[in-house]
Amino acid sequence: MAEVDPHALSEEDFHAEVHSFQFWLEAVEGYLGGTDFGFDPNLTDEEFSESELNYLVTTLCNYCVAEQAALQASSGMISFAPAPDAAIFLSTQVVDEGRHLEVFVHRLKMLGIEDPWQEITARSNQSLLKFKDRLLEFVDQRDWEAAIFVQNVILEAMEFTVFQAHAATADPITSGILTGVAKDERRHMGFGENDLGRKLKQAPHTRTRLNRITAELNPLVLSTFSEIAEELKIDTEDLGISSNYLATIERLGFST
Amino acid sequence: MADFLSGYSIQSWLESCPQGYLEDTDYGHGAGEKEPEEMLGNDTFREDAIRTTVQLVVGERAALAASSGLVNAAPDDSSKMFLATQTLDEARHVEIFTQRLLDLGVRKDDLDSTISRYANPNLVKFAEVLLEKVDKKDFIAGVVGQNIVLEGMAFSVFEMMHATNDGTNPKFAHTLSGTIADERRHVGFGENRIGSLIKEHPEKKAEIQKMQQDMTYHMLATFADSFKANSDVVEEAHSQSSPDAKAAVYHGVDLNKADASEMEAVLSDTVLGEFKTRLGRIGLEYLSPAA
Amino acid sequence: MNDPLIDSDRFTADRQKYELTDTGFNEVPKKYRKFYRKWKGKGDELADNEVLCPVCLVVIRSARSLRPGDRVYCMPCMTRLTVAEEDGMLVARVVY
Repeated sequence: MAEVDPHALSEEDFHAEVHSFQFWLEAVEGYLGGTDFGFDPNLTDEEFSESELNYLVTTLCNYCVAEQAALQASSGMISFAPAPDAAIFLSTQVVDEGRHLEVFVHRLKMLGIEDPWQEITARSNQSLLKFKDRLLEFVDQRDWEAAIFVQNVILEAMEFTVFQAHAATADPITSGILTGVAKDERRHMGFGENDLGRKLKQAPHTRTRLNRITAELNPLVLSTFSEIAEELKIDTEDLGISSNYLATIERLGFST
Repeated sequence: MADFLSGYSIQSWLESCPQGYLEDTDYGHGAGEKEPEEMLGNDTFREDAIRTTVQLVVGERAALAASSGLVNAAPDDSSKMFLATQTLDEARHVEIFTQRLLDLGVRKDDLDSTISRYANPNLVKFAEVLLEKVDKKDFIAGVVGQNIVLEGMAFSVFEMMHATNDGTNPKFAHTLSGTIADERRHVGFGENRIGSLIKEHPEKKAEIQKMQQDMTYHMLATFADSFKANSDVVEEAHSQSSPDAKAAVYHGVDLNKADASEMEAVLSDTVLGEFKTRLGRIGLEYLSPAA
Repeated sequence: MNDPLIDSDRFTADRQKYELTDTGFNEVPKKYRKFYRKWKGKGDELADNEVLCPVCLVVIRSARSLRPGDRVYCMPCMTRLTVAEEDGMLVARVVY
């Protein structure tokens, strides 16, 4: 295997490399090899109390809502991606989001939920559902800037923050699943922030519109955060909202 | 149904593709494999390879747009999962065939203009008929157009190209083997998933058959244009091939000896035969473009 | 910005070299893995050839000590960054 210093790549080669299917293929081989539905198949489940199980099921159901939104949004955005390599990157994201939904549904089944899809509908967080509807409106309108902002910046940063915090306290199987999912989110979040950052540099007027969207969606995101934190009995400070989610929004120059 | 559809899971896809036949490949072929020097050094052969590869990129771009658009139109989550994997398969095909254009000497800056110059207008129309259904979120018509008509065509075209290249261009033959393996899943999904939906929606039959008829018309026109354009290349290739060369047999025809019109005939007959069989199995009647 | 492609002398002269080894980071293709490592959180001291990606919180590593103005890439989140100095520490700033 030839050694390659990534920092010596030209900017063009760097972007071509990281947005390619080939990169995705070799990256996921690293952390999904040997897993079965996202976790080490040699692990066995621990005993949950009734309330622990109830909270975990509700949380997983809401992860599924977020992943359904992400699957629908990322697949819908391919047809209006601004460049072929962006379309190829989004295709890798589509399969990542599909995988996330699948592993969470599989986990719900392992926890004894016979009809996970019905359970997801019953336990959906209202703020998250409103957020999903708004995201899919932007996708239907083929509004690239708004869709990439809401999906790959806001939603992905929210998921990344929550999944990492939850993985630290979860049972070993759920933790393994969440750790793998968060590794995918790193790519999605980075793609969104960089794509949007470049766009904002070229068209600063877009910022005003996206600022309005931030103001509209922030309450939904923060309310979702606090509900999940309550279910998981995690302090919102521990979730690192200020250092992760809000820092991303701030880096792009949006008011928080 | 749920157990049957679990075969369409991303877990199955991961085990069969990234951890299966794509493991250790580089843009779909073995690391270090190259296009043959005899082809790169001959402008006529190289241009023909570029023209052919452009059609593959155009077809795969259409397949990518269609499969990603169909994720949102799918009525059940298993179909969404499968279409998510198909979206990535199609994106991979776009990438590996685009990479082949670069390997054939097309400069990155010239990619778009090369694709525009060589893209067959009939193939573009073929894609437009399909994407119109996808834009309307018509799942049944979209899947028939994508997974039976487009994929059925691609499957046969790739198999024929694989037979041609197997003995002379291992790099491209390996690239094609992986895409053929992907297409197998796609055509399988098309038949298995849509068969039951057609039964539930018999009122859709006429509209879908009309779409198939229009797509078939543009497909046959694409074949006619393509084989006409490369008839001289075929002759030159035959004149240069060794008399001891191993036969490249595709459906009983030795492609190392057949002329362009024989090649067109065997490909068209094969694709149309497959269409009739597959459409018949899901309860649709094949409509000839001549009808 | 110090681009190792353009300013190779400026990038390599008078800098300490580091022999990078695999740290178990598995989120990028094998050939790039030793250029990244997991961040262990507050208290994780960074070496002269390391800088933290503010986007995805992965430690980016270089084969040479880093200096303000150097261009580095975070492959796990696909971000281009420039090294800067802040309160006597090396930090990475996103370049869109």
